[in-house]
Parts: sequence; C-alpha cells; structure tokens
Amino acid sequence: MKILFLDTSSFFATVAIIEDGKIKYLFQEEIKDDMASRMLPVIQEGFNQVPFTVNDIDKIMVVNGPGSFTGVRIGVTIAKVLAWSIKKDIIPVSSLAFLATTKTASKYIIPMIDARRGYVYAGVYDQELNSVLADQYIAYDALKEYFEDGTIISQDDLPMATKPELDVLKMVTKYQNNEPVPCHSVNPNYLKKTEAEEKLEVKND
Amino acid sequence: MKNDVYILGIESSCDETSVSIVKNGEEDIATVVLSQMDTHANYGGVVPEIASRMHVENITMVIEECLNKANMTMDDITAIAVTYGPGLIGSLLVGVTAAKTLAYVYNKPLVPVHHIAGHIYANNLTKKMTFPLIALVVSGGHTELIYMKDNYSFEKIGGTLDDAVGEAYDKVARIVKVPYPGGPLVDKMSYQGEDNYDLPLPLDDDSYNFSFSGLKSAVINLVHNEEQRGHTINKEDLACSFQKRVVDILTKKTMRALEHYNVKNMIIAGGVAANSGIRTKFTELCASNGVDLTIPEFKYCTDNATMIAAAGFFAYEKGKRAGLDLKAKANTKLE
Repeated sequence: MKILFLDTSSFFATVAIIEDGKIKYLFQEEIKDDMASRMLPVIQEGFNQVPFTVNDIDKIMVVNGPGSFTGVRIGVTIAKVLAWSIKKDIIPVSSLAFLATTKTASKYIIPMIDARRGYVYAGVYDQELNSVLADQYIAYDALKEYFEDGTIISQDDLPMATKPELDVLKMVTKYQNNEPVPCHSVNPNYLKKTEAEEKLEVKND
Repeated sequence: MKNDVYILGIESSCDETSVSIVKNGEEDIATVVLSQMDTHANYGGVVPEIASRMHVENITMVIEECLNKANMTMDDITAIAVTYGPGLIGSLLVGVTAAKTLAYVYNKPLVPVHHIAGHIYANNLTKKMTFPLIALVVSGGHTELIYMKDNYSFEKIGGTLDDAVGEAYDKVARIVKVPYPGGPLVDKMSYQGEDNYDLPLPLDDDSYNFSFSGLKSAVINLVHNEEQRGHTINKEDLACSFQKRVVDILTKKTMRALEHYNVKNMIIAGGVAANSGIRTKFTELCASNGVDLTIPEFKYCTDNATMIAAAGFFAYEKGKRAGLDLKAKANTKLE
C-alpha cells in the first residue's frame, strides 16, 4: 500500500511517501512564510525520487488541523484536489496526534498549539496514540491534572513544553486503516469558529 | 486548422467559488458559480476567514460539477487558468492551490490570470473584442481606466485614488440603511427618486483618476445634518443624486479618454458594470459619439471563472505560464 502523508498545519511541514510500511521519501522542514508556494514543488520532487507516480497512491493521509488556518487549508486543498484527481480517498488526521508521536517516558503525552490569551489547542494521548482527552480549544491551566504524569509537546513557546520529534511512520501505522473519507467531505478541523461567527452567536443569544 | 483550446478556469478571489470551461476564449462550455453571498449577508459584508473556509469545503465539488456539466474530463482540457490576484489572500490561496494540484497531477500548463484581466475578457464572451480599446473597470475593489492596444496588453491610464466605485455604493447603502449588498439596491432606488440633493461632482480635473471618498463624506454629512434638523431623508432622491454624480464623472472622464487616445471601441468590466445607470448613460453617449460599446451580460459582471478562462486563453496564446510555486497575491498590478 502506498500512502502520501501531508502536514502543513504549522511552520514545520512534513511530506512523506510511504510504501508498505517503509518511508520512501521524507521532507521535514521549517517553512516560515512560503508554505503555499513550496508544497507542490516538494510533492513533485518526492515523486521524482520514488519508482512510482502520484497516480499509484492508494490513500492520502492529511493533517486537517488544528493549527494555522491558512496552513491547514493548503494541505487540505492539495489533499482534496489530489484525491479527486486520482480517484482515491483521504484519511484526515490530527496535528495534535502527530505531535504526540514524539517519544517520551510519560504516561500522558499532551500535545499543544498556542492559541493565545492563555488558550491552547490540545489533547491528551497515551503512548500508543490512543486519545485520553479529545482535541479541543481549552485554557492551558485546565489541563493541569495531566501535567504530573505527562509531557507537554509543542512547537510553540509554552510553559514546560518539549519540542516535538515527529514520527511519520508511527502516525501512518496508527491511522492507515481508519475509514477513508471521500474528498468532497474532507474539511479542515479548526476547532474554533471564526470571530465573526462567535460575535454573531453572542448577538443572537 | 488550429486545434480548439479548452481552458479550465478557477476563480476564488472573494466570496464566489467558480470553475468554468471556455473554448477558444469566447465560448462558455460550462460554468459553475457557488456564491457565498447569503452567508456573508449575515455579517453585513464578506468575512475573509469564512470565505476561505467555504472555498476549501466546496472546491472539489465545484470542479467536478463543472466537468460533469461540460460532459468532459480533465484529459480534454488544454490548460488551467487561475486568478492569482488581486483579492482576499486566504480565498485566492484555495483556488491557486487547487489549480496547481490539477496542473501537477494532469501535467497541464498553468496560466496565471489577473482578476481584472478576467473582468475585461468577460466582454469577449459577449462580442469579440476589437482593438485598440478603452476599458472602464468598475467593481467593489476597482475603478480603473485601461488602454488596450492589442490582446493582453494593458496600460492603466487612470484609477481611483481612494474608494472603488462599488465600495462607495455599498457605503452609501449602509448610510441610508439598505441591507448588504446595497449597491444594486441603491441603483434601483435611484430610479424612484429625483436629483434634489446638492452633492459635489468628485475629482473633476484633467486627469483620468477618480476619487469617491469625498462624495461618500458629502452623503454622510448631508444625512447627519438633515437628521440634526429633524428632517427625514428622501432615500430615493439621495440615491438618485449620488448615482447621477457617479455616472457623470465616470462618463465624463471615459469619453475624454476615448477622444484623447482616438479610440472607437469601449468596454465596461466588473461587478458595477451591472449598474443600470452606468449602462444606460454609456450606451447613449457611445451611440452619439460613434463608439462601439460592449458591456458583459449580467451573469459575467460579478465574479466568475468564465471570464478567467476567457482571459486565460489569451494569456495562454501569449505564452504566459506559471510554475507549481505560483503565489497568490492580495495586491498585484495588471500587466
């Protein structure tokens, strides 16, 4: 089975091509403000380096959030249009689960993305990437009960956070048999409504 | 005999997700426009983040529906044209990313199209454009006079120094409390009123530039003063006076440009080309001055991918290509 893995949800991008549980191509790099123009050339380069084409891909695994709204949209748009083009389905996966592939000795792994004003996008996972607490938009302090037995993993400068070491293979192995989703139905999982929507809801209440 | 060229166009610069297939830059084979207007109406204007979100949700469905409607597959497509700017950056990004992905997978040429070039070439779907010509581009984001010596050659001879004409319409609509998008309603109301309000003719100078912020302020002040005096505003009369000033200055400067450049062809482009006051006055003036005027059909005035595919054909013929690193640009010059 051939899988294309994409994560553009943060400034640290991952593109990987996996065949039968082996990584055939891996791009992991910090991309500061050029994500939109870099991604397609990187994917093209990836398929230049493997002995098959993008049309041979069986599944596309894409990180659909949470994270940078724009970043998430780049990956999800590529995944959707690619899946539509090669008539294959998509497995959307969580950016927080991907952070939680980082090796730690703790019982809990607490991946976090800074959402500012004391809030984070976070979840709690165990060593096998099982979800202990679902991904959500939550106050940093509200997760305190997990801190003693847990390690906080984040790309951002959050208190007590350890930098991630992303394990693509662990991610793909864990989720490759998830129910695939047809391209039209795959959407970003922002975990947060837009400010305009929030204000309108307050007004209508 | 030259082969027919089928361009698949993608437009997502604001709040319409649109895909179209156009043959040889002049024949609309199939067009799908998914407008988000009803959603944004809840907020009194386009919310960029919501627009971006909706583009992602809908993009593959719109592509598929367009091909189904045309009864074609991607193999029948010669090249892919996409609006790369100007517009809302987050919105543009979705269309550009989708276009690049299609170009990559199907190994098709990618043609970057400026949004205004699209509006201009909407006219080629109505009638084959003849050169040289003067194009008046009027929309919610643009007010420009462009001299075109030949196909895909754009020389800007004037433009707005502040608000775009469509923007001025929407702001006036808000002042007189007409719901979003108010521009078309102000146009309609103006026919029920008379030019009874004393509003200034904006930037009436020798240049080909426009300025509508002064006119907008004059409307605000007038409404404010009348309210202070306890008078009620006759909205229809105000709409009429406002529209008359706008139409007067647009026609005055455009007709002078036609004379100065000795050009006998004129086109109007952009969303405000749907404005009946502008259509009527230009039709009259061009007829009496021997100028051949083209205005796009109503459906091609607002944002759509048909015009992008039409412009894309001429860009393609001129050899314009983009790589897979094409960037969306919020602001970019027409060239």
